[in-house]
Amino acid sequence: MKQATFDPTNIICGAFFILVGAVFAWQSLEVELGSWLRIGPGGMPLALSLLLILLGLIILLAALREVGEPVGAIAWRGIVFITLAPIIFGFTVRGLGFVGAVFITALFASFASLRMTPLRALLLSAALAAFSTAVFSYGLGLPFERIGPWLR
Amino acid sequence: MDLLGNLALGFATASTLANVGFCLIGVLLGTLIGVLPGIGATATIAMLLPITFQIGDPVSSLIMLAGIYYGAQYGGSTTAILINMPGESSSAVTAIDGYQMARNGRAGVALATAAIGSFVAGTIATVLIALFAPPLTTIALKFGSAEYCSLMVVGLVMSVALAHGSVVKAIAMVVLGLLLGLVGQDVISGASRLNFGLIQLGDQLNFVAIAVGLFGIAEILRNLEDERTREVLMARVTGLMPTREDFRRMAAPILRGTALGSALGILPGNGAVLAAFASYSIEKRVSDRPEEFGRGALAGVAGPESANNAGAQTSFIPMLTLGIPANPVMALMIGAMIIQGIVPGPNVAAENPALFWGLIASMWIGNLLLIILNLPLIGLWVKLLKVPYYVLFPIIMAFCSIGVYSVNSNVWDLYVVAFFGLLGYFLLKLRCEPAPLLLGFVLGPLLEENLRRAMILSRGDPTTFVTRPISAGLLLLAVAVLVVVFLPSVRRKREEVFVEEE
Amino acid sequence: MKSLLASIALAGAAFALPHAASAQTYPERTITVVVPFAAGGPTDTVTRLVAESMSKDLGQQVIVENVGGAGGTLGAGRVAQADPDGYTLLLHHIGMSTSATLYRKLPYDTLNAFEYIGLVTDVPMTIVARKDLEPTDLKGLIEYAKANADTVTVANAGIGAASHLCGMMFMSAIETPLVTVPYKGTGPAMTDLLGGQVDIMCDQTTNTTKQIQGGTIKAYAVTSPARLDVLPDVPTAEEAGLPGFQVGIWHGLYAPKGTPAEITERLSKSLQVALKDPNVVARFAELGTAPSPEADATPAALKAKLEAEIARWKPVIEAAGQYAD
Repeated sequence: MKQATFDPTNIICGAFFILVGAVFAWQSLEVELGSWLRIGPGGMPLALSLLLILLGLIILLAALREVGEPVGAIAWRGIVFITLAPIIFGFTVRGLGFVGAVFITALFASFASLRMTPLRALLLSAALAAFSTAVFSYGLGLPFERIGPWLR
Repeated sequence: MDLLGNLALGFATASTLANVGFCLIGVLLGTLIGVLPGIGATATIAMLLPITFQIGDPVSSLIMLAGIYYGAQYGGSTTAILINMPGESSSAVTAIDGYQMARNGRAGVALATAAIGSFVAGTIATVLIALFAPPLTTIALKFGSAEYCSLMVVGLVMSVALAHGSVVKAIAMVVLGLLLGLVGQDVISGASRLNFGLIQLGDQLNFVAIAVGLFGIAEILRNLEDERTREVLMARVTGLMPTREDFRRMAAPILRGTALGSALGILPGNGAVLAAFASYSIEKRVSDRPEEFGRGALAGVAGPESANNAGAQTSFIPMLTLGIPANPVMALMIGAMIIQGIVPGPNVAAENPALFWGLIASMWIGNLLLIILNLPLIGLWVKLLKVPYYVLFPIIMAFCSIGVYSVNSNVWDLYVVAFFGLLGYFLLKLRCEPAPLLLGFVLGPLLEENLRRAMILSRGDPTTFVTRPISAGLLLLAVAVLVVVFLPSVRRKREEVFVEEE
Repeated sequence: MKSLLASIALAGAAFALPHAASAQTYPERTITVVVPFAAGGPTDTVTRLVAESMSKDLGQQVIVENVGGAGGTLGAGRVAQADPDGYTLLLHHIGMSTSATLYRKLPYDTLNAFEYIGLVTDVPMTIVARKDLEPTDLKGLIEYAKANADTVTVANAGIGAASHLCGMMFMSAIETPLVTVPYKGTGPAMTDLLGGQVDIMCDQTTNTTKQIQGGTIKAYAVTSPARLDVLPDVPTAEEAGLPGFQVGIWHGLYAPKGTPAEITERLSKSLQVALKDPNVVARFAELGTAPSPEADATPAALKAKLEAEIARWKPVIEAAGQYAD
């Protein structure tokens, strides 16, 4: 296998910081920059963005002369199910209510792992929903509707 | 001053059966809720606050609330160590080496160290409060915007030591954190900025949402890689309790952490957030085995945990002597006092000596209960590590959704969790560490706000930072830290260069 | 397994519940009052005290939900979009009227998104200063401020905060712009006032009374029509030389637009009962305020107040030229 003569991870890393710096710089130009003596809301963000771009460049340039490992495996399945779980909670907590939202969130997150069987996932989610409702809703009296309007 | 008489009054108040009972309930509830992943001290207290309203007696309800606070904080450290889920800025530092210790099979030792460190720090800080609360307040009031700004500079300089990989990347992460901290409404001008027009994000990105995303979710995703080929394994748990050698090595870090935390905790305006980070940097610098940091160094848990607990304790000082909250938790405490019919102010100690000294005495009792309660529980927490990972993470996701949502009932906070989970994983893949980013996130708004306010107060005269003595002293300290941090590595670099030339 | 069955049974029972709330049987379940600020603040405290008392009268729990952020507009926006069934209410303060001008991109139409229930309380403000500031009375303070307009600093707890509004009103009343120093919240602002880092602040009695009594800050005037029982030595602004200077942090209870009139009337009655509860009266007094009189705890009075306050603050805010978005 041919050894790469650059560090792919750090090239992505440098590029990422440059990109983020550029986006933030563009955002900070939308508000007033102010002057040295009376710094505006955009002054500090712009300075930091430019610094971030500079650091990104340093990382990028250094990466071109180093040898490094590739990025490695990526947990695609995990990304989909895990990061969507809180979003699903957000979408359902008002409609389904607390019980339903906890159940669906846990169920969805369960599918992130290949080791989880559907039956176990259902049981786990139901138990979690019951436990959370008992503790947070009945026990601590959190002000969330247990059963939301979608189910009424 | 009749210190002994006051303390006697305090202990007489706090050690009645009812009050010890409330303290125990508070510590227990705080630990149990705080240990749920993704639910940190602020969320725990916000959730449990209404319960304390049910108690008729203000002293008892405050004692219970304070107990909840210590308990929640300890619970937060537990999740930081066990599953890399810090619930508060201070336990983010504990997560760095605590979680590594857990992965090395030393979860029990890490938890015991945290408990012992917290107890020692709590005891010393309680004595400090009893002895010096009023004079310490006078010092705290000397801290204006210029001083805070210089203090933040010291913190930023120290933050570089948090990294155990590339220094440039660590600085880039700090800068990214500073930028993220500025997203939302600008305090000085009121303008909303850097938020792509999303005012739903609120005044600021939610700290818990970011911490949960960057640390916890990113770690879950990392564990889900190569599921088919690799068994997710924690090393076998070896020994729950610290050995004699461990004790010897945690003593100095605990004392240094306590000193640091006590000093920074009294500053109103959340000076305490720096304590844990600063303690970590110092321990790494003075350690004879700095290479262990980031791979499970005992001192990396003992120091920051003590600093964090001492700071938590002394942050009561501005509240008790001035009636001013030093952090969101103290704001909740003041709300609780008002509901109970006590409006906090500079005269609480004179008008309500039983409350004032009772609360101080209960701090020590609370810490004592906490350690009695938690040392036996360590075995139980460590057993949790045996729960298969695929069962653990749906539980984590459910609880952290509930925890994040409960603080502000804002669904956007949940979207922030998801976004930062993804970002955290991405950064992890790029071999960038999340702790410096989190420190930047906490310091960013404080630094900017105080810098700009100092400039307004000095009518645009930047020399204010060097003509005010405390500020100048802090800046000198920052320079000194820079020299200490960079000189050895610079010298080493130069030596390497010379070797190549020969 | 048992808990699973229990939760299924629970869900089943919920399906079987009769649909849609009717005004005759209201209230049938828990009522949520949204406070658009963090738990533990003055508005939260006022709400919790009133909610507890209203629970007794309504025979159903009235619970408080904190939806903080963006000067209270996030919480108000939430209630504006809630079902108009009387189970989601909003308790907001003066910010309801000022955010109509402070925010140019408000997600709701302040005057047309809500039904009114009634005024709750009107918390007076105090004009205070660091304790070593030279002037001894309000007249002296005004002269001093006019003479040193570019060095006198006025602290506030952030754009849209009570102290910001009162500070603007003060500068507008004395026709002199001073150096405004914003803080994030009352805590840090008060700390700097105690430490003598800033000169003046105008804030609610909830935050200043104890400090004034403790002698850590100097009080020049209260902004209420009459002197306060808790601060008998502090003159009103009217007496002390600022005629017509009255600012109060008034709190109102609202419901989403379309809530049936019978329900808002019922809630209004309940609010009036709560405001006479001796416990509420006593706790309000400790905070340096008093419940609104019965005539003000009505939908009509709140509507009139909101309209008048929007009109009053619009020119002041526009003159200051500072917006929150």
